[in-house]
Amino acid sequence: MPRVLRARLQGISKAFVPGVPVLDGVSLDVAEGEVLALLGENGAGKSTLMNVLSGLVKPDAGVLELAGEPVDLAHWGPRAAQGHGVGMVHQQSALVPALTVAENLRFGDPAAGLWFRPRAERRVAAALSRRFELEVPVDRRVEELSPGQRQRAEILRALGRGARLLILDEPTAVLTPNEATALFGAVRRLRGAGCAVIFISHKLGEVEAVADRVTILRRGRVVASVAARELDAHELGRLMLGRDLPPLARRAAAPRVATPQPALAIRGLSTAGASEASRLRGLDLEVFGAEIVGLVGIDGNGQRELEEVLAGVRRPSAGEVVVAGRRVALHPRALRRAGLAHLSGDRESAGLVRGMTLAQNFILKGSWDDRRFFRHGRIDHAAAWRATRAAALRFGIVPPDPERDISSLSGGNAQKLAVARELDGDPLVLVAVNPTRGLDVGSARFVHEQLLARRAAGGAVLLISTELDEVIALADRLVALVRGELRATPPGADRAAIGAILLGGGGA
Amino acid sequence: MSEALLALLSGSVGSLAAWTATLRETAPLLVTGLAVALAFRGGVWNIGAEGQLLAGALCATVVATRLCVGAPALVLVPAVALAGALGGALFGGLAGVLRATRGVSEVISTILLNFVASCLVALAIHGPLQEVARAYPKSDPFPAAAMLPAFGRVHAGLLVALVLAFGLQGLVFRTPFGFRLRAVGLAPTAARFAGISPERIALSTLALSGALAGLAGAFEVAGVTGQLYEGLSAGTGYTAIAVALLARLQPLWVIPSALLFGALEAGAAAMQREAGVPAVVTQVVQGAVILLAVGLSIGKRRGPRLLGRALPEDA
Repeated sequence: MPRVLRARLQGISKAFVPGVPVLDGVSLDVAEGEVLALLGENGAGKSTLMNVLSGLVKPDAGVLELAGEPVDLAHWGPRAAQGHGVGMVHQQSALVPALTVAENLRFGDPAAGLWFRPRAERRVAAALSRRFELEVPVDRRVEELSPGQRQRAEILRALGRGARLLILDEPTAVLTPNEATALFGAVRRLRGAGCAVIFISHKLGEVEAVADRVTILRRGRVVASVAARELDAHELGRLMLGRDLPPLARRAAAPRVATPQPALAIRGLSTAGASEASRLRGLDLEVFGAEIVGLVGIDGNGQRELEEVLAGVRRPSAGEVVVAGRRVALHPRALRRAGLAHLSGDRESAGLVRGMTLAQNFILKGSWDDRRFFRHGRIDHAAAWRATRAAALRFGIVPPDPERDISSLSGGNAQKLAVARELDGDPLVLVAVNPTRGLDVGSARFVHEQLLARRAAGGAVLLISTELDEVIALADRLVALVRGELRATPPGADRAAIGAILLGGGGA
Repeated sequence: MSEALLALLSGSVGSLAAWTATLRETAPLLVTGLAVALAFRGGVWNIGAEGQLLAGALCATVVATRLCVGAPALVLVPAVALAGALGGALFGGLAGVLRATRGVSEVISTILLNFVASCLVALAIHGPLQEVARAYPKSDPFPAAAMLPAFGRVHAGLLVALVLAFGLQGLVFRTPFGFRLRAVGLAPTAARFAGISPERIALSTLALSGALAGLAGAFEVAGVTGQLYEGLSAGTGYTAIAVALLARLQPLWVIPSALLFGALEAGAAAMQREAGVPAVVTQVVQGAVILLAVGLSIGKRRGPRLLGRALPEDA
């Protein structure tokens, strides 16, 4: 088994389009027993760099050294990378859902023989799981696993193929806080076992928790490479963005207006659910104007169901939604007309259609009550263009071109368009669901500022998020959703206390 | 070999008669191609243009030979066309209802309805619609007043089809309905969150697509054959899928696409006649054209991404 003593990339350059370098002379190294965090905003070049290392992308220039010897880049590819002990765990799961973990470990393994030997496969998988202390039920089908277990299975598969340099591409994006903590433990154990780990992230907190060293990319260049403990979060943010990130000016918001009635009232809401735990059980919740209510919870406890009801795509079995004192029909357009806007970090739930232009996406939602864009059975393209252009400039969407296909935009910019669309017409209530999922620091900050601006303008915001830190930073009031029921959280509760409530341990 | 190719060419575009044959083959391909293009745009995989065409032809025959036999042309021709469209819409709509209410995949239901339609035609021409003479399993000939006006052997249906192509181009790209249809076709979940019901769009798209295919059936019986018999459509509804794909689901591009396939059909007949080459060879040519079209569309899809400003990465 080849052993990666050290991986060293020197002067790596890559341009997919001539003259527009994605990587511009990047150098980076990592040794065994080390966790290197690779930070950068969306589009900084992190994934491309790692794709070079794992053989998916051929660099235009540069040298790659593994175990002290330069590799032949002309013959560098996924197979060669695997042979050199480089393994990458991508954001999108590459496991076959219908197969068990053990079967997945063997599936596509070039070293495996022609015959399938279930008992031997299981033994190998279990041994691997024990050796690296990555707990995975090897007999279960992947589709039955939690995201965290699935990820451990992916890591195991890479290890099983002889990987000793592991690249984890934004591994916490799909995990709950507890699962993320478990992952950090696993990464530390891998380090202890002599593996080198490159950990891609754009979350500062994770880096502090797990990394030995940090390399920061900005626009295809390395801007800093330092020991993790020498940096604080503020400094990291500054390096990533290339500018200072002032603290959120949350408390500078307008004083609460004494409103007689809640802007949004949810009464006795019950639904069927994807699972028993995610069934809503008689939910009661009120959100007033000039207030951000944070709703925290572990995925699968009813957030999705609540979001779908409030977005108007799921019919509840009981209960009602009242906006500004009036009961609203639960249909996307009726809700929007009543003044309830819905923002989601998920492209599809956000109602963004890849393959359509910015302008078309802008007018897609609420377009029928919006006489601006639809008149006499025709689409007013000129009006749509103007409105989109104005919104793009106001919200700093790059490029501000209404004719451009939305799928050509970065995640942050696509999300900005969704924000612009939802805030168009100043909705009374904004339901934001994981609004910064997958966004980099700068874009996430933008969304946070918009939520606070909505609050300052007297709007009601219901923030449903699995990012505990985000909710704690923004919300005036916190409630927890546990197995489809709301639990109050004591004011000023910290992460640990809230975590205990989410797990069903404490709380009222 | 060259003799065969020559026959293919001269039989499709080599003479006025050849052009007439080509245009005659083009008409049903154009209308059904539009039907398929519309459905696929809306993310509805209507494989049932064949059955919808037959259903349309059947309904048109009922009107022409049983219901309104004595009516003047001014009434009968529109009635026949309308009956054809309704028949097709009924078949398409049935698949649409199944999809919208029961979640039945329209791929399965439309394919199965093809068999239903062809059996219904067989049933009709062996029974209630059979010619008065009861000699052959075919319908009575259409009264002259039911026949589409024709210029030589090219009937007016082709003209209608051309107008339809322009109309559909406008419908898909200019109207709110077309906008919703495309949104559902591209991203059904996103469309649902934007307040568009994918079920409703699927239902109306299938019905509309079926109506077009049914119209093609009415044009065939009322424009070309003048009567209904088994084997009226030798796979027109299937070739239509290739026609629509080659046109990249753009209604206007369906015109040249249908013309190409129409020429292949007409030329194949000539090739078989004059060079003794089995017509199966044209199917090979058609297959090659489809593969080429698919290959081109893949190249196109990658093109903009590579030529665009920057690859969206880390996303």
